Amino acid sequence: MKMSKLEVLGQDEIEQIHSATLQLLSKVGIKIDCKNTQKKLGEYGCEVDKNSDFVRIPEALVMEMVKKVPKSFTLNGPDASFNFEVNTKSTQFATIGTPVKIYDPNKKKGVRKTLLADTIEQIRIVDTLKHINCSHVDVWPNDVKYTALHAHAMYQWVMNTRKPYGLGCYGGLPSQDMMNIASIACGGDEELIKNPRLVGFFSTTSPLHFPKIMTNGFKVFAKYKQPTIVAPEALAGSSAPVTLAGLLTQTNAENLGGAVLAQIYNPGARLFYGTVSHITDMKTGNSAMGSIETGLITVAVAQLANFYGYPSRGPGGVTDSKILDLQNGFERLQTLLLAAQAGINYITCAGTYEATLVESLELLLIDDELVGMVKRALNGIEVNENTIALDVIEKVATSEKKGSTFLGEMHTLKNMKKSLYMPELVDRNRRNTWWKKGAKDIIERAREKVDVILKDHIRPEVPEKIKTQLEKYIEKVESRTLKDYMEAEGLDSASAPVPGSNI
Amino acid sequence: MALEETIKDAIFNWEEEKLRDTCKKAIKDDINPIELVNIIGDAMKILGEKFEKEELMLPELIVAANIVKSAIDEILDPAIRERGEVRESKGKIVIGTVEGDVHSIGKDLVASFLFSNGYEVYNLGVDVKAHDFIKKAEEVNADVIGLSSLVTLSMDFQRQVIETMKKEGIRDKYKVIVGGAPTSADWAKKIDADAWADDSLDAVKKINQLLAKN
Repeated sequence: MKMSKLEVLGQDEIEQIHSATLQLLSKVGIKIDCKNTQKKLGEYGCEVDKNSDFVRIPEALVMEMVKKVPKSFTLNGPDASFNFEVNTKSTQFATIGTPVKIYDPNKKKGVRKTLLADTIEQIRIVDTLKHINCSHVDVWPNDVKYTALHAHAMYQWVMNTRKPYGLGCYGGLPSQDMMNIASIACGGDEELIKNPRLVGFFSTTSPLHFPKIMTNGFKVFAKYKQPTIVAPEALAGSSAPVTLAGLLTQTNAENLGGAVLAQIYNPGARLFYGTVSHITDMKTGNSAMGSIETGLITVAVAQLANFYGYPSRGPGGVTDSKILDLQNGFERLQTLLLAAQAGINYITCAGTYEATLVESLELLLIDDELVGMVKRALNGIEVNENTIALDVIEKVATSEKKGSTFLGEMHTLKNMKKSLYMPELVDRNRRNTWWKKGAKDIIERAREKVDVILKDHIRPEVPEKIKTQLEKYIEKVESRTLKDYMEAEGLDSASAPVPGSNI
Repeated sequence: MALEETIKDAIFNWEEEKLRDTCKKAIKDDINPIELVNIIGDAMKILGEKFEKEELMLPELIVAANIVKSAIDEILDPAIRERGEVRESKGKIVIGTVEGDVHSIGKDLVASFLFSNGYEVYNLGVDVKAHDFIKKAEEVNADVIGLSSLVTLSMDFQRQVIETMKKEGIRDKYKVIVGGAPTSADWAKKIDADAWADDSLDAVKKINQLLAKN
């Protein structure tokens, strides 16, 4: 079996990007708002420009810190049977996005605003999926106070799933809340640090800016060693050069800069080399997440992550389509397949569309099916005496019974489930049978399955004591004002990006 | 393990030797082989229902049917004859894929379903000439002739079988059912067949109806 990873960069080209990145980091640096972080980096030999807040990171420090990033770790679910390892060879699949709307065919526009009930349903669906191993705060509820959104989401994670979870490290105080809640649920900080439950998202602001609110949260995630994705979302042509090599160099600098910060905050902090970068549509200036170039960038990122030797994260199953149409289908598969074939270790964004702004539980199930198919593709073709099956070929071909097929052979029965992927939602019926079954399209079939899952899903048992502790914690978070957060994060209102302001 | 459970277990796990040995031993213990055939029929009915609900893959059903057929043909039927008894069947069906067509999967599935539903099935295979259908039907005194065709080009051979029957003055002796991807209810009517089946499960249903009318 020969499975070649998809590559778009030659070794010399990777080294050229690497060398340009080091030059960028040491000559230009990264704009880091947080004064404490600046100070700490200064102690490690970085040159801090107090006026511009740019911190120039020397080459030796970059390479020293990159080496400290762990090559593998296990993400733990509340139920240990849902634990999974992330390493530089594995391919894991997860959700993520920032959907504030959800698919609703009964509404005129086909979508409606998301509610906490949708957040819960999304978590419960992921809990039952075969191939998607982790959910994050995907569905952003519009009916809870946005300053307490993270606490509500975490509470629902504890109450509704056995799988790990993830959130953006948006602010030090909210990130500390996330740690505290996870700690209550799993039995203490020590356990949380040893066996991480949460994936963090450290979203940089391209080009080359680490905003204070994000570094505040990143610091907390690093302290608790919860695996964190450095997630530049650079757009070729607007927030990065239009040439993809330029985008890769810039986002490589953000990734390596993130690695330096994490290892300085806490040596051995677990990280993903990440991307969710894509392009700007030159006709409109809009971002185009489902573009074919998104796939190209993601493939290159897999190669760069491999060059630095720690796990990668990239988007798959993403689309710009506003409806569940062909564009939605081909964009999600092209990005998913390219990411998987490149060997991205953690592929995200299942269940979303419209550049991850809209959720569809139907798509979540379809993505699970797509991932199943993609995994089958990655498993390749096994060649041995059993799979060549000379004796079976001879038996069927020379059978006295005219019209003999392999369908009735024990060899078929024994090998079919390994050799062939068995789809659950894809329709392969003859037209008449399909018609008799109601002539449903894949969205309708997925909807029916969503209903069955939600009816049958059994929530994990959470001890009353933990439930009470968590409820008290949420009350505390609910009582905070936006001003409390501003003060905690050291932000003044003029410069503060308001959480949830895009909702 | 009770006998019934052992037989069903062997079928559900596709254990041919276990099924054959269990049948042989039961016959030796003087258990009526007709009783064993009935147990097997029940097991196949369960598998058929599972297949209908898409809980079972096609090879899982066909392999089970093959195992069962060999046990009945080679062990149970000879034992029944030896006791001078007759296994009652719901009817005798001669089935095959018509001349010019070598597709067998759908037709074999129909044969398996009919067999599991208590019919005596004579599966003539593929590329079967009109005279061979008639010859077999006359020989076994069949109730129904089933004609399968998967390619459009071979469809007309279904008509030829019926025309030949008419020429020989035996059209009304048998019910004729046709099926296969390019066929339709209209086609069946056009060529003067008695019924058309959309798929293997429909074939059983239609044959049940045809014979109930008699």
